[in-house]
Amino acid sequence: MNWNNIQLVFLREVRDQLRDRRTLMMVAVLPLLLYPALGFLMMQIMLSVTRQEQTVVIVNAEELPAPSLMTFLSPNDAQEALVVLTDDQAIWPAELELTKRERLEKLLTHIKDDETKIHHLAELKLADRTQSTTGDALAEAEIEQLRIELEQWFEEAKVEVIVIFPEGFREAYEAYTAQVTSGKSGVEIAAPKPLILQNSANDNSVLAAQKVKHAFQDWEQALLDQRLEEVNLPIDFVNPVPIDTLDLAEADKIAANVWSKVLPALLVLFSVTGALYPAIDLGAGEKERGTMETLLISPATRTEIVLGKFLTVMLFSYSTAVLNLVSMGFTFQNTLSAIGAVKDSPMGSLTFPPLTSVAWVILFALPIAALFSALSLSLAMFAKSSKEGQYYLTPLLMVALGLTMFCMFPGVELRPYQSVMPVVGPSLLLKSLLLDGILSKAVLTYGIPVLVSSIGYSLLALWWAIDLFQREDILFRESERFDIGLWLKHLLREKESTPSFVEAGVCFVLIGLLQYAFLISMQSSNAMSDAVSMMKVQTIYLIATVGVPPILMALLLTTNMFKTLKLQLPEWKFIAVGTILGFTMQPLMLELIHRIDWFFPPPPPGAVDMMKAMTAEQVPFWLALGAFALAPAVCEELAFRGFILSGLERSRRQWLPILISAMLFGVIHMIPKQMFNAALLGVVIGLLAVRSRSLIPGVIFHFIFNGTQVAASRMTSDQVNPKYTEWMFLIDPKTGEPGSFSIPLLLICAIISASLITWLIRTWTPEKPLDQFFLRRESHEQPATNQP
Amino acid sequence: MIRVEELTKQFEDLTRGTNIALDHVSFEVKPGEIYGLLGPNGAGKTTCLRLLSTVLKPTYGRAIVAGYDVSEQPEKVRANIGFMSNNTGIYDRMTAWEMVEYYGLLYGMKADQLNQRLEYIFEMLQMNGFRNVQGGKMSTGMKQKVSIARTIVHDPPVLIFDEPTSGLDVLVARAVLEAVAALKQEGKCIIFSTHIMREVEKLCDRVAIIHKGKILDEGTIDELIERHQQPDIEEVFFKLINELEASLSEKKVNPSESV
Repeated sequence: MNWNNIQLVFLREVRDQLRDRRTLMMVAVLPLLLYPALGFLMMQIMLSVTRQEQTVVIVNAEELPAPSLMTFLSPNDAQEALVVLTDDQAIWPAELELTKRERLEKLLTHIKDDETKIHHLAELKLADRTQSTTGDALAEAEIEQLRIELEQWFEEAKVEVIVIFPEGFREAYEAYTAQVTSGKSGVEIAAPKPLILQNSANDNSVLAAQKVKHAFQDWEQALLDQRLEEVNLPIDFVNPVPIDTLDLAEADKIAANVWSKVLPALLVLFSVTGALYPAIDLGAGEKERGTMETLLISPATRTEIVLGKFLTVMLFSYSTAVLNLVSMGFTFQNTLSAIGAVKDSPMGSLTFPPLTSVAWVILFALPIAALFSALSLSLAMFAKSSKEGQYYLTPLLMVALGLTMFCMFPGVELRPYQSVMPVVGPSLLLKSLLLDGILSKAVLTYGIPVLVSSIGYSLLALWWAIDLFQREDILFRESERFDIGLWLKHLLREKESTPSFVEAGVCFVLIGLLQYAFLISMQSSNAMSDAVSMMKVQTIYLIATVGVPPILMALLLTTNMFKTLKLQLPEWKFIAVGTILGFTMQPLMLELIHRIDWFFPPPPPGAVDMMKAMTAEQVPFWLALGAFALAPAVCEELAFRGFILSGLERSRRQWLPILISAMLFGVIHMIPKQMFNAALLGVVIGLLAVRSRSLIPGVIFHFIFNGTQVAASRMTSDQVNPKYTEWMFLIDPKTGEPGSFSIPLLLICAIISASLITWLIRTWTPEKPLDQFFLRRESHEQPATNQP
Repeated sequence: MIRVEELTKQFEDLTRGTNIALDHVSFEVKPGEIYGLLGPNGAGKTTCLRLLSTVLKPTYGRAIVAGYDVSEQPEKVRANIGFMSNNTGIYDRMTAWEMVEYYGLLYGMKADQLNQRLEYIFEMLQMNGFRNVQGGKMSTGMKQKVSIARTIVHDPPVLIFDEPTSGLDVLVARAVLEAVAALKQEGKCIIFSTHIMREVEKLCDRVAIIHKGKILDEGTIDELIERHQQPDIEEVFFKLINELEASLSEKKVNPSESV
């Protein structure tokens, strides 16, 4: 690799991007101008919102006991003020417009006429909330009519809230007070309740109602104080246990909590946006403008070109993320302090994050930007035109948004499993860093795994980009129109002996979708009620979702089903190797899984039930063996080592098909611990299948591997004769139960497995891909003779 | 300088299935010679030249360019050829000077040596007038000159031109042809594809007539005319193509002949 060339390509691309208005817009103009502008706009909106007038009408104000509610409804703070009107029109403000005055009058008469009905409506609505009582249908219709009318009156008179004091409220209140203060008891006096009418579909009405309710609370407190005074009780009588709350978090801690949720999410978002446009321009754009071929004929290798381009995309992704975050932070802080009104809320003390946090964000933007840059460059490389590139890259943005949401959930924290997930790992690590600083437990424990795995994912994505860039069909995809009809015809007409790469992918997606559909339908049915039916359902499930699709696809899409599904007899030595490996890998894998159990999140309850069902006494041994060993061995092998691996093998690479099929095999297992287990085994079985060119050794391996597990789980301790098994297990000194496997056994298994796998790797006899060519040539020999 | 043996390229195609774009083609080009590939659109000319420039990898056969095998030492091959075609565009946001300089640097030229070479080329091709004009603002003629400058900046011994005049106006096309002729005088080994008979007659020392991925015949123009007893190269061309088409349709009628 020539670093000089990488540097040359990098510098050229950067200069090119800087001369492009669109890029400058995204990277520099947007953060520097847009956010301050948005902040300004927000301030304006806030200011105009607070000035909006809210009208509250109080009906039957003469029923109010002293002290007057009015003083609480109109505090001195001008911004909070409501326009409060009572039904005493004499004291309505003189500046009230004539039309509004008329409408209010109309509203008041309406309400007074229908007062009892309105109270009835309120009762019905409240009853509705607790239990759905169906009363008189006719009355209900009438009431509903009234509700609609009220809504209209509110709208017409431009009133936000109406408070109705029922007739006799004051009398009842005073009677009650008199009764209590005189010390008499016995007669219950129930004061009718005042009613607040609001329309929650209108924000302004909600705000006004909130203010009215606050005023009611204060008023109630004043009335209570008055009553206490009359009976000569101290004011704190009704508050026997006064509480003080001390919030230990300081202002900057609260801020850190908020920032720790917001910053990682924004970082992910901006890294993607920043990578998107340069990637499309450098990948698909260059193809579209016809400069790609010019670059390809220069001595720079394709790896060098991709690296130069990758570094450019990463630079822009990174600077977009950092610039946007800094600019947004400043705007946010300034806007908040300018609005001022939010000062009392905990968000009000939201200061700009401290410099250390900023430094962490800047550092963690690197792995995230690297991953997204490599991914978007790959996708952009794959696209034929800029437009196509945008289509391919939008899903990436969606995925990033999803991950962002995930990181923002409260309570989502770094765990071993999360730490090695792409994007989620660094985001959550950043979250802990912002919250607890560098010396927190999470950072010290997971810092290195997160960084190593992030670098790993970035390298993988980069490798993909380089690989795509080596492929002629990707680089020179002529602008051949994609026609789905044509494509389907092509699929069915021009069948080949084994499936294509794409068909293998489709098979996997189909299996995934079927499994998903099956699981959803199972959730609602009660087919899983007991252990036996659970086993039966599990078997049917495997056959239907994993076993059938590859067979059907092989029949439909290929000419040689036996070759596709590898249904041919292998050499005997491969069968022997599969059998031996099935036994020797078992203790090794169990031990490994046992050792790294802490790494994975606990399995979902459904999976635990399934494991219990496997060992349940009422399940006959053959059924458990069928559901957990035979069905998976046959179905999963048909799918993953049969159809999918055959399709992947068309790439004519040695290891890639095995690794991808193993990975897909892992993914389909869904539960993290099983995913790991299956992926690892998938590599071994894949190797067996590729080398033997047959499914049979893999099926045998799979059956033995699962079968011994089923057998072991059903063995009770009295069936085990310690004489024969003591060499296998280390006996737990406390319980006397067999624990993990004994070291000598593990060693023997490891040596046998390792030597067999090494042997498998070494027996490589590549097929001759060019044979068909010579044949073709013979048949086409010289159609026209040029010699006279 | 260029030696091609049994060169074959096969593509997978949605509409046609497996498609053989180049079918066991062999020829040789010497220094100081212009070798013409004459064929209709889709004959396999571009595929052949892309294989020679290592942008595509051969399915079968081999090609030695400037002493290096295209499959084994593609970087060496690319460092020793100049390649120009319709598809080798120039960057919109780069000036003429920057563009040619960039490629000179990619070819590993030292700064002062490159500067001298650039001054010489810009003078020779009369490009000083638009030295600092960006690609997006150039006329077709200017762009073509930049492409030629880019092709010869590292003074390669082998030059490959893939329909360099297609889509150009007459004046620009003439200038391009003159530049190619001048390069021959410098002793370069040149391969030149086109579907225009006059260009072949004027420029090429030897011609290969190519159709459906096969070379139907090759030789000097006089040899071809004499061998096929036709008045001019155009008639030779159509005669060969018609013969091939006829034999192919015959095969379709009697599929038993082909396996």
